[in-house]
Amino acid sequence: TAGILIPDLCVLAHLERLEAQVNKSHKKSEELQSAQAEESALETKIHQLRHIRDKLRAEVKQRQARANASSANVEPDQTVEISEQDVLERKQENMKAILQAYHFTGLSGKVTSRGVCVCISTAFEGNLLDSYFVDLVIQKPLQIHHHSIPVFIPLEKIAAKYLQTDIQHFLFSLCEYLNAYSGRKYQADQLQSDFAALLTGPLQRNPLCNLLSFTYKVDLGDRSFPFCARLLYKDLTRTLPTDVTVTYQGMEALSTAWEKHRASHETLFCTVPLHRVFASFSREGEKLDLSLS
Amino acid sequence: MDAQRAEVRALEAEIAALQRACEELPAPWEGTARVRKSFQETHQSDSKRWESSKDLKSHLGHLKSELSFLSTLTGFNIRNYTKQTEDLAKTEMTEEGIKKVLQRHRLSGNCHMVTFQLEFQILEIQTKENLSSVITDLNIIMEPTEYLELSEFVSRAEERRDLFMFFRSLHFFVEWYEYRKRTFKHFKDKYPDTVHLSEGSCSSCMEIHSARRPGFELVIVWRIQMDEEGKVSPKLDLLTKVPGRALELDRNRVIETAPQNFRTLLGVLGIEAALESLIKLLCAEND
Repeated sequence: TAGILIPDLCVLAHLERLEAQVNKSHKKSEELQSAQAEESALETKIHQLRHIRDKLRAEVKQRQARANASSANVEPDQTVEISEQDVLERKQENMKAILQAYHFTGLSGKVTSRGVCVCISTAFEGNLLDSYFVDLVIQKPLQIHHHSIPVFIPLEKIAAKYLQTDIQHFLFSLCEYLNAYSGRKYQADQLQSDFAALLTGPLQRNPLCNLLSFTYKVDLGDRSFPFCARLLYKDLTRTLPTDVTVTYQGMEALSTAWEKHRASHETLFCTVPLHRVFASFSREGEKLDLSLS
Repeated sequence: MDAQRAEVRALEAEIAALQRACEELPAPWEGTARVRKSFQETHQSDSKRWESSKDLKSHLGHLKSELSFLSTLTGFNIRNYTKQTEDLAKTEMTEEGIKKVLQRHRLSGNCHMVTFQLEFQILEIQTKENLSSVITDLNIIMEPTEYLELSEFVSRAEERRDLFMFFRSLHFFVEWYEYRKRTFKHFKDKYPDTVHLSEGSCSSCMEIHSARRPGFELVIVWRIQMDEEGKVSPKLDLLTKVPGRALELDRNRVIETAPQNFRTLLGVLGIEAALESLIKLLCAEND
């Protein structure tokens, strides 16, 4: 009777082992099944995602193509024009500068709707003086619309001679007159402002500054030698006088030495700008002292 | 399965990226206007430059024609110009309220056959009462250098720092030069056997001699002078060459007084008529 129990235990163990095996395989197949299920699910998902991705790819490609097509005219040129822009800007700056530089020739102009407005600049011995303008209307015949030329400059005469036939000659001729006038005016102004001490009376001048009359004195020790000078500038295109008379204003007769001085003054006024003659007078005051003592 | 999961993750990421890209690009039915607008929005400053570049080109065209016009009007062709400005207040001791600026200019160009290069300095002094501008230095280089009259006048202009006088005189010099050239050429063409220009049409001398009057020669020397004030004027002189025998026969001293009489003739007839009358003297009557 102990013999039968032992085989039951063996069977039990055997059954247990079998159960475990079945459970294991069940588990396995369950796992397998779920794995398989998961796998197929993933597979489906992958398919779906691939489909969506492909659609999106196509869409982006299409939109990109359209965007490229419409911006094709703009994008490539953009890069070219940026550097071309720099070249053009530099050219513009250079041209603008040259336009301004024409002022240094004494003759410059600006194109207007009617023609041209010419600007004439004047100077004397490096001193830049007034500018004048002439507004020309380009039509047949050429006309002066308006101008800032002083009334005593013979504008009509110059225009009658040259304006219709040779405009360059008209302009340069006008330049000559205006520069000469400016120069004469400058000399007279300088005399009045810087050498008033040497003048014994007011400087008499006309608007054209081509007729000047003044009295001055040359001091030597306790003696004073008064002179009267009359300067006539017949040639309106010159800054030096054509006729000069210096007369002695004193009562007694002039000594030969002083007569020489008077004559030399006349020569000086003819050859040296007025204010510089007087500058030399104020310097020579000392020199005269030495030469006549 | 890991590979599958990885693929799923990769696909999801790709889709997200594509969706973003789609959002950035406009839908096709929205048209090119939208493209331009969005393009402009993203490249705002660049498109502004692009529009002004077109304006720039047309503006350049205007400037070019203005320069060409000025060149024709004045007869001067300025090719290059540069300017430097120096504020002297920093380097020099200046009084209160006085402003000093030194400008350095460089200018080059040509007037017909003469090319010039100028460098000059202008000192601008601003006081409470006024502004004065003075040319403090002037350097002139001119080509060609064989015009002796020009080199004299250049040194005079530099001495006086008279920039405008330089240009004015240059204009008148070139005018006279061209007139002399035209006149000589005219007479050479009209009287080819009698008129001789030994140095070509640019020469300052015109020789008149004819095979019909051998031994006799008249030479007109035509110089273009410039005086101290830069005024340009022609100076014509007559030189005579006659055989000794003719001189002996000349009791009225015609030959001797010819140069003097020529000057008088010039005053009466003017240059062209005076020259022509001299040429006709040596031309036989049946020429």
